[in-house]
Amino acid sequence: MAQHGALSIVVDIKPGKKQELRDKFKEIEAAGIDTNSVVPFAKLTSIHFARFVVFDEGTDAYGKPFPARLSFTTNYDLPTDNHLKELIDNAGPGLWSIFSMCLKFPEGAYSAAKLSDYLKTSSIPTDTFYVGVGQRSVSQIRNENELREAIENYADAQKIEFKGKDAVYIRKKIVDFVNGNPKLQWAKTPAPKRSAGESAVFYGKLILVILLVIVLLPIIIPFVIVWMTLVLINEITTKDLVCKIDKNHVRTLVERENTIVQQQFSAMGNVKPGFLRKSTMLFLLRMTNFLAPYLFSKGKLSGIPTVQFARWLIVNDGKQMIFLSNFDGNSENYLRDFINIAGRQLTLMFCHTVGYPKTRLMWFGGAKDADGFMAWARSFQVISNVWYSANKTVTVKNIFHNAAIRDGLYGEMSEHEARKWLSKL
Amino acid sequence: MENLETQDIQGIIIKGYSNLPAADFLLLGIKDAVAVKKWIKNNIATITFGTDKPQETAMNLAFTFEGLKALGLDAATLDSFPMEMEDGMLTRHKQDYLGDYGTSDPAGWDWGGKKTAPVHVLAMLYGASEDIMNAWYAKQKAQLEANGFSEIKKLDTTVLPERKEHFGFQDGIAQPTIKGLDRKDSPQNTVAAGEFILGYKNEYDQYPIAPVVNPNLDKENLLSFSTAQPGLKDLGRNGSFLVFRQYKQDVVKFWKYMDEATRLEKEKCNEEEMIKLASKMVGRWPSGAPLAVSPEKDDTTKSNVDHFGYRHSDGEGLKCPYASHIRRTNPRDGQDMSEHASNEISKKHRILRRGRSYGTPVTNSMKPEDILKVSSVEGERGLHFICFNADIGRQFEFIQNAWVNNPKFEGLYDERDPVTGNHSHPGNTKMTGTFSVPKESGLRERYTDVPEFVNVKGGAYFFMPGIKALKYLASV
Repeated sequence: MAQHGALSIVVDIKPGKKQELRDKFKEIEAAGIDTNSVVPFAKLTSIHFARFVVFDEGTDAYGKPFPARLSFTTNYDLPTDNHLKELIDNAGPGLWSIFSMCLKFPEGAYSAAKLSDYLKTSSIPTDTFYVGVGQRSVSQIRNENELREAIENYADAQKIEFKGKDAVYIRKKIVDFVNGNPKLQWAKTPAPKRSAGESAVFYGKLILVILLVIVLLPIIIPFVIVWMTLVLINEITTKDLVCKIDKNHVRTLVERENTIVQQQFSAMGNVKPGFLRKSTMLFLLRMTNFLAPYLFSKGKLSGIPTVQFARWLIVNDGKQMIFLSNFDGNSENYLRDFINIAGRQLTLMFCHTVGYPKTRLMWFGGAKDADGFMAWARSFQVISNVWYSANKTVTVKNIFHNAAIRDGLYGEMSEHEARKWLSKL
Repeated sequence: MENLETQDIQGIIIKGYSNLPAADFLLLGIKDAVAVKKWIKNNIATITFGTDKPQETAMNLAFTFEGLKALGLDAATLDSFPMEMEDGMLTRHKQDYLGDYGTSDPAGWDWGGKKTAPVHVLAMLYGASEDIMNAWYAKQKAQLEANGFSEIKKLDTTVLPERKEHFGFQDGIAQPTIKGLDRKDSPQNTVAAGEFILGYKNEYDQYPIAPVVNPNLDKENLLSFSTAQPGLKDLGRNGSFLVFRQYKQDVVKFWKYMDEATRLEKEKCNEEEMIKLASKMVGRWPSGAPLAVSPEKDDTTKSNVDHFGYRHSDGEGLKCPYASHIRRTNPRDGQDMSEHASNEISKKHRILRRGRSYGTPVTNSMKPEDILKVSSVEGERGLHFICFNADIGRQFEFIQNAWVNNPKFEGLYDERDPVTGNHSHPGNTKMTGTFSVPKESGLRERYTDVPEFVNVKGGAYFFMPGIKALKYLASV
């Protein structure tokens, strides 16, 4: 059972270095994301997805300027130490050359130890981290997809032999094929599952929190009523910016979308001013972060079945929100899914940013204004300068489906069960 | 409920002119904008509108973005059009999004492509018979060419028996009913007018993005004020966006494939299985009866059935495979989400289809067994696919991208639309498609070598204005 980490390095770029950084990323892209010599991503076997994004300088909601920033983020298999070691062993000098264009970076010649310290001290906590791939490692996802392909091809090759045979027989043949295939020896044992002890800790935490909430309910209810009233007043009295689609910006964004299966989304926006907004946002994001593994463990983020990983980061002392996600399909359809499937839930997370369509009690309105939502999302979306995906050909649904196929290789099955399992092919 | 101003909406949007079976689609260029505008102004009465009841002939007009530019529309108004109109189908992104690769590459299109003359105007001519149509065309061609238009291409159409398309399946069954028109239909199939006609609320309860004009430019006060954008004049009202794609159908290849894929013995055609496989790919039997309703055999008594779902009767695709054409293009209640959400989302991706077939059928009977006997086929045949929608991106393009050409549709791995999908992609070395037929016995029947049966030969996006907007366009 794999657990995932979200490394987020968000640092200010040295004045005058922004273009140089962008050029560097263009070089990486031109040389091939997987195999380039600066950060040879394919060698970093702990990474599911990674990206470099350059965010332009701007002015926050209080009118104060902030500098251009670089974000380097990865979705990786724990442990963190292993991930960091892998980064330094395979891409140390490359990362050094990139981050040396950022502020507060140790000066001088390359030092693996200094880089390691830098990565550790610069990494910021994730306010909300969503994992859509279940508790599966990079290699498990890849292996299980290869397993399914091998079984599919085997079943095709045995088409005549399998004709008219019952499901139990066909399944047994497939299991024998897997067991006899030297490349698939790992599939002889089931995928690791959460142990009883781990489950107790996992659910125990939830039960504790629920109990605490119940105990504190007499205090929480009046507090929430007062708080929501303040939020409503804030919503009514705040005059907000109305976003308009910049066609050329959208063209630049979508022109880069040239992969078939997966895409990415990177955005940064200003958080609305005031303590009320900032604290409400942080509470909602962190509550979602706590509940996500319980609520969204089946590969659906509030019902959206296409998100592989997503994270919300609040940076610059609560003044900007960064949102980064990896999903199946393309950005146009992804944003439509937001509106059509999970408009309300996502409104709770995003309505604290400037330019979000008008809401009431953070629940009504918002993404219901479909055109306003699209304009807001596109306005704050930026290009991902370098974007890497380890398992490029699988969707979230494929990942879960592949795992279910593997699960069916073990133990005995009735004819009915065997049919059900075969129908997954 | 909003009342539709049918007197201001061009007729083809409201009805399909089934009483006018003959049709020609003229692709025109604008040579002399002044003359063209003068002609439009003086010939508004020639255009068929929603309240007209054409008995003999009909004509409708639509403009590409380039055409509107050629007329002399100002830059601000042009910029108020949705970007799909401006970008058309030819940018790298659009080629990718629509899946136009290989033999469908716009570099090889007959019209509207990268190497063909820019199309400015589409004139849709309809006639009650071939003779009437020929006379109507001759008259209009002379008129148009004498008044600043140039004919780039004339696209003929054919009427096939029993409303069939060339593969031999009844076509055009599932059409949404526009809310606000007299016809009554089920709630699932009754779709807000703003999904198809600009100036009315859509399924999001919003006004669709529509072109607007600075009131100072409307000197003759031809346009009404926009409800969605107060202070501006509404050029979009009662208009719609028309998507035109010319799909060439390889009928012989289609039936040859079905034949070869279903033969038990080398020499013997298994007619029943062959038709069944083709029907599994389409999702309806040749008569039009949906497989979800009549899974085992064709049933002509169910040929027009359109009130059905997938969720409760066919959750696993045992009757109608997920990958089939009609399940993709309109998944109804069957998407992986709540029933309500699936129905609501399906409604947000509907189109009004107004296409017509072209080219002579391979055989008059249109029966697969006869088609297979034909030794040589002449000419080209296919479908002039035409549809109306208010938001090209969310409707036509979404259906094409997220459903038809998406190899991962609803949890699949590598299956595009087996009938109309384009299997070529620069990121894919394989040029054929995969199609799986789920089986009661458990293991699916998988076809991994499905060739492309349909290729794109031309296409463009058009704006079909309302009568007021047409008058305004003639005045700029």
